[in-house]
Amino acid sequence: MKQIRILLADDHTVMRRGLRLLLESHPEFGVVAEASDGRQAVEQAEATEPDVAVLDIAMPNLSGIEAAQRINTALPHTAIVILSMHSDEGYVLRALKAGAKGYLLKDSAEGDLIDAIQSVYEGRTFFSPEITKMLMEDYVREIRTRGAEDSYDLLTSREREVLQLLVELKSNKEIAQALNLSLYTIETHRRNLHEKLNLHSLPELILYAVRKGVTS
Amino acid sequence: MAKTAGARSSDRVFFRSRVAMAVGFGGLLSIMALAGVDALNVLNQFRRKDNQIRHRYLTQNHVLNDIKSDVYISGTYVRDYLLEPDIQRADAYRASLAEVRQHMQASLEAYRREVAPQEARHYSALRAELMDYWGILAPVFQWNPTERRSSGYAFLRDQVFPRRQSMLELAGRIDALNEQQLDAGNRQVVALLLGFQTRLLLTLLAALALGLGLALFSMRKILNLEEQARLQYVDVAQARSQLKELSARLVQAQETERRSLSRELHDEVGQALSAVLIELRNLSARLALRSEEQSRRHIETIKGLVENTVRVVRNMALLLRPSMLDDLGLIPALKWQARECSKSTSMDVTVAAELDSDELPDHYKTCIYRVVQEALHNCARHSHATTVRIRVRQQPDRLILTIQDDGQGFDVQETKGMGLLGIEERVTRLGGKYKIHSQPKRGTILSLELPFARESPLPDENGSAAAHETNSHPVG
Repeated sequence: MKQIRILLADDHTVMRRGLRLLLESHPEFGVVAEASDGRQAVEQAEATEPDVAVLDIAMPNLSGIEAAQRINTALPHTAIVILSMHSDEGYVLRALKAGAKGYLLKDSAEGDLIDAIQSVYEGRTFFSPEITKMLMEDYVREIRTRGAEDSYDLLTSREREVLQLLVELKSNKEIAQALNLSLYTIETHRRNLHEKLNLHSLPELILYAVRKGVTS
Repeated sequence: MAKTAGARSSDRVFFRSRVAMAVGFGGLLSIMALAGVDALNVLNQFRRKDNQIRHRYLTQNHVLNDIKSDVYISGTYVRDYLLEPDIQRADAYRASLAEVRQHMQASLEAYRREVAPQEARHYSALRAELMDYWGILAPVFQWNPTERRSSGYAFLRDQVFPRRQSMLELAGRIDALNEQQLDAGNRQVVALLLGFQTRLLLTLLAALALGLGLALFSMRKILNLEEQARLQYVDVAQARSQLKELSARLVQAQETERRSLSRELHDEVGQALSAVLIELRNLSARLALRSEEQSRRHIETIKGLVENTVRVVRNMALLLRPSMLDDLGLIPALKWQARECSKSTSMDVTVAAELDSDELPDHYKTCIYRVVQEALHNCARHSHATTVRIRVRQQPDRLILTIQDDGQGFDVQETKGMGLLGIEERVTRLGGKYKIHSQPKRGTILSLELPFARESPLPDENGSAAAHETNSHPVG
C-alpha cells in the first residue's frame, strides 16, 4: 500500500510531536519532513515533495498562509491543510485563496486530522466540523436578520449540482463528464453561478458552499 | 476655512475701531491745540491793543499838559514882561516867551499826528485860539516901557486872561475826549475778551463732547475685549478641566481593564489549571488502581477544562489586540467584528469598504478598528438600534469612516462618555477630525476623517497600550 507522505510544520514542538505521534499510529501515513517555521516549511516541501503539507497558520519568519501560497505555486500536487486557532471566515477564505484545501481548528486537530489528510489527498476539501457549523449558523442568522432573499434559492437545480461538484474541486471537464453535459454548458452554468451569487473566485464559492451546507 | 475668515473679519473690526480711535483722539488733541493757539493769539492781540490805547492816551495827555503849562507860563511871562520897568530884563522875558511859543508849536505839531477824527474839530479850534493868542500878543512886544506901564495891566486883564481861560477850557475838553477814547478802547478790549471767552467756551464744549464720545467708545471696546478675554479664559479653563477629567478617566479605565484582566487570569485560567492539576493527580491515582472507566472520566474532565482554558485565553488575547488586524488587515477584521457584534446583540451590522489596498499604516488600522469597536459598544449599550452601517472609504489624501445607526440617538451637546472621549483622543492624535450627528429618536451618524501624513512622520503610538496593540505576531 502506498503511504501518504506528509510534511508537518508548526513552531510549537509539543504540538508537532503530538501530531506526529498521532499520524504514526496509522500505517498509511508517513511523516517525511518537519519544520518549525514558514521558511523552513517551504524548503522542506521543495526538498521532499510531500503529498500533503500540514501548516500551522501562525509561524515565525513566514506565516502558514504565505508558506501555503509558495508551496501551492511550486508544487501544485501537494495538498495543503491549514492548522489554525481562528474560526473566523476571514481566515478560512484567506487560507482557501492561498491554495489550502483543508482548514482545521487546532482545538480538534487530533480528532479530525486523519480525516482531513485523507480528504485533501483524495482531492476534496475539508473543514473542521465546528467551522462548518459556525459558518452555516452565521449564514442562517444573516438571512434571518436582514430578511434578505436567500441567494441559493436563485440557483437552478443544475447550477446547484455544478456548485456541489465545483466545491469538491472537480475540474470543468470532470463536471461535464459527471453530469453528462458539454464543457460549454458547464462553463455557462459556472458563469451564472458567479453572477447570481456575486462571488467571483473558487475560494469564495467554496466558502459559500460551506456556509450553505452544500458540502456536508 | 471658517476660522481664517473669522480672523479676517475680526482683523477688519480691529482696523475699524483703530481708525475710529485715531480719528477721535486726533480730533480731541487738535481741538485742544487749536484752542491753546487761539488763546495765545487773543492774549497777544489784547496786550497789543491795550498797550496801543494806553500809549496813545499817555502821549496825548502829556502833550496836552505841556500845552496847558505852556499857556500858563506864557501868561506869567507876558505879565512879567508888561510889568517890568528894566529894559534888559523885559527883553529876557520876551526871549523866554518866544521859547515857550516855539515849544507850544512843537507840542501842537506832535499832537496833530496823534489826533483822532472825533477830536479834530476841538483840535483845530484850539489851534486857531492859540494862533489868535499869539497874534494878539505880537504888537505888545513893540511897546516901550512907558506904554507897557500905562496900558499893560489893562491888556492883561482884557485880552490875555480871558483867552488863556478859553484855551484851558478847550484843552480840558480835549482831555475829556481823550479820556472817553481811553474808555472806548477799554470797552473794545473787553469786547475782544468776551468774544474770546465765548469761543473758548464753545471749544471747551466741543472738546468735552468729543472726549465724552471717545470715552464711551473706548469703554465699550474695552468692555468687549474684557468679555472676550473672559470667555476665552473660561474656554481654556474648561478645556483644562476636561483634559484633567479625561486623563483621570483614562487612568481609571486602564486600571479597570487591568483589574478585569487580572481577575480573568486568576479566576478563569488559574482556577482551570488548578482543576487540571487536581484531575491529573486523581488520574494518576486511578491509573495506579488500574480503574480504566474512572480514568477515562478524569481524562474527559481534564480535556474539557483545558479546552475551556484555551478559549478563555484566546478571548483575552483577542480583546487585547485582535490578531486578525495584523493577519488579515483592517476590512476582514472589521467584518469579523461586525459578525461578532451581530451574533452577540440583536443588531444587524454591515461593513462596506472602498479601499485601494489594505496596506494602511498600523496607526490607522488600529484607530479605525478601535473607533468602530467603541461605536459598536455604544450602539449596543445605549442606542437600541436594529441596524448599523459601517463604511470605510479611501481618498488620495485621507481615510473616511462613517458609522450610522437607526437607534434612538442622543443629545450630542450633553452626552460625552468615556467612549466618545476615547474616540476623540485617538482621532486627534492622527490629526483627524470627527463629527457626530445625532438627534433623539433620529439615529446617529459618526463620521471621521483621517488625513494621510505625507511628509511628517506619523506620531508614534507609545505607552503600554501600544505595546500589545502593535505586536504583529499573532497568538499561536
